[in-house]
Amino acid sequence: MRRLGVVLGLAVLAAACGGSGGGGAGGGAPAKGGPTVAMMPKNKGNPYFVSCHKGGQEAADQLGVKLLWDGPTETDPAKQNEVVEAWITRGVDVIAVSVENKEAISTVLRKARAKGIKVVTWDADAEKDARDVFVDQATPQGIASVLLDHTSRLLGGKGSFAIITASLTAANQNEWIKNIREQLAAKYPDLKLVDIRPSDDDRKRAFDETQTLLKVHPEVKVIMAIASPAVPGAAEAVRQSGRTDVKVTGLGLPNASKPYLKDGVLDSVVLWNTMDLGYLTVSVANALARGTLKQGKGGLDAGRLGPKDVDGDHIVLGTPFTFTKENVDGFDF
Amino acid sequence: MAAPEAAAAAPAPARTGRGGHTHEWLLLALVVAETAYFAYAGSNFFTTGNAGEVARASVEIGLLALALTAVILTGGIDLSVGSLLGLAAVLMGSAHRDLQWPIAAAALVGIGVGVGGGVLNAALVARLGVPPLIVTLGTYSLFRGIAEGFTGGIRNYTDFPPALLFLGQGRLPGGVPAQVPLLVAAAVFFWLLVHRTPIGRGVRAIGFSPEGARFAGIPVARRLSLVYVLSGAMAGLAAVVYAARLGQAKADAGSGYELFAITAVVLGGTSIFGGRGSVHGTLLGLVAVALLQNGLRLSDQPAELAGILTGVLLIGAIGANRLVAERSRA
Repeated sequence: MRRLGVVLGLAVLAAACGGSGGGGAGGGAPAKGGPTVAMMPKNKGNPYFVSCHKGGQEAADQLGVKLLWDGPTETDPAKQNEVVEAWITRGVDVIAVSVENKEAISTVLRKARAKGIKVVTWDADAEKDARDVFVDQATPQGIASVLLDHTSRLLGGKGSFAIITASLTAANQNEWIKNIREQLAAKYPDLKLVDIRPSDDDRKRAFDETQTLLKVHPEVKVIMAIASPAVPGAAEAVRQSGRTDVKVTGLGLPNASKPYLKDGVLDSVVLWNTMDLGYLTVSVANALARGTLKQGKGGLDAGRLGPKDVDGDHIVLGTPFTFTKENVDGFDF
Repeated sequence: MAAPEAAAAAPAPARTGRGGHTHEWLLLALVVAETAYFAYAGSNFFTTGNAGEVARASVEIGLLALALTAVILTGGIDLSVGSLLGLAAVLMGSAHRDLQWPIAAAALVGIGVGVGGGVLNAALVARLGVPPLIVTLGTYSLFRGIAEGFTGGIRNYTDFPPALLFLGQGRLPGGVPAQVPLLVAAAVFFWLLVHRTPIGRGVRAIGFSPEGARFAGIPVARRLSLVYVLSGAMAGLAAVVYAARLGQAKADAGSGYELFAITAVVLGGTSIFGGRGSVHGTLLGLVAVALLQNGLRLSDQPAELAGILTGVLLIGAIGANRLVAERSRA
């Protein structure tokens, strides 16, 4: 039995890694030349984030940035924290996160900042004191306004619609929904939002929820799908239902939306250029690491995107863009 | 009661023998190899700071795996622990925020929910004799379902007080993550229980042969109940640690944890058919998997690789163990 003790003792020793007081990260010496930027999506498998990665890599290559890209393969709030913890230990110069869950991630992001790592949030924000800068794809007011314009046009200014969202806790979507409600009250008194259903960023789930919605609320004539996998899911459900009086609009990726835009089930898809979002995020991270980010108009030189305004800790990509049957073929992401 | 039980069970597991620790040595070599490789390939892997983070990240799975070792030694399984963790976490969050209970009381609610879930599993397995796979597959859905229903899938309990957050995020003097002593205490408890008490011998005897154990005078139902209740209690405790570490409790807390825990147990050499296995093996299995995940991240490898390599590790280790066992028998 003494041998068991030895086994255990050695195991503990090995696990403790002998640690000669390395004591955590510190800023992490910049790799030869450029800074190391660690960038995390909410979900690596989502084509939305795949295209963000593409744009981010493009900027990284131009700027001499070493880009790390990792994140959960499924929506799991604990996973994002674990990856950030590992990056803090590894030592990177900038951590850029698309936040799945505000409260959970903010603690580790604060820890990263305390260790001298610059923190950028992009696509979805954390708590304000947990990051240096938020790279915003579009303002919630802008998104809500464009989506409601399309909905109102489709309903002829009067009628019922429903929303298929990402998850009921997704920060971005909830911010948009809040703005949609405000603008509904102020500008569209005859439009009625009858239900909000979750899709958990899953196409199949969006399909199921839309089918149920159509049965439970036959008066709904527009489905507004505000998560990128939810758009084709909702459109497929409407197509299979044979209800030609129901149209889908929403916020999604052009490639996945193409077939539905072409056959008319899907009227319009609103989005920003996701590759530009990734590109801008890496540009911001690079400027932060090198200390070249300036406040005010044109405070950031964003390469092929031109100069961008830096408003405190907020940098906006631009106004949303609408993909339709006519223009969608010009895009491939 | 204890005396005849001890005497009766003694011949069954016998000694795993001097040569019986091959698997543990193999695992230890693996852990050392992982450490050496990642110390070379990873950045800041071989530091006390990182050792702390690996330990911190392993506590919840570790608590579940320790209790599961006892369950699996009886030839049973408990698939419900991850779901029970989620249920305990949200009810604890609700007790704290909705009922305004002090955090210590809320934590006891979490552990109590775990024990309650364990009692339900125990009653169905031990009293009604329903196969554990079926019982806990049922409660796996049941517990998660209640947690989702209770929160509508939406509510996320946050705003936990600093005292609880310290347990999950703080460090004790000497740099030890605050939750690690809990895992150490649980490890000592389960090691003594399984390897040093008549109860432990009874548990193994049940794993070898429930009928034989019954004829040998072992209170089979009572022993089975104990391991499932302990499993639930550990899920409750893990829920408290989870909420403390992430500062939030949502219905999806701990999803998939049951499989990580079972992986650690099986990798640690415990036979899925019961009878054979050890608590220290489980700890080694836990460390091997945790180091792999951490090390891959620190050497900039994608997270998917961790899944692939964990699978390879599990199949490889068990296969190697089988080969060695065959050869030594031949």
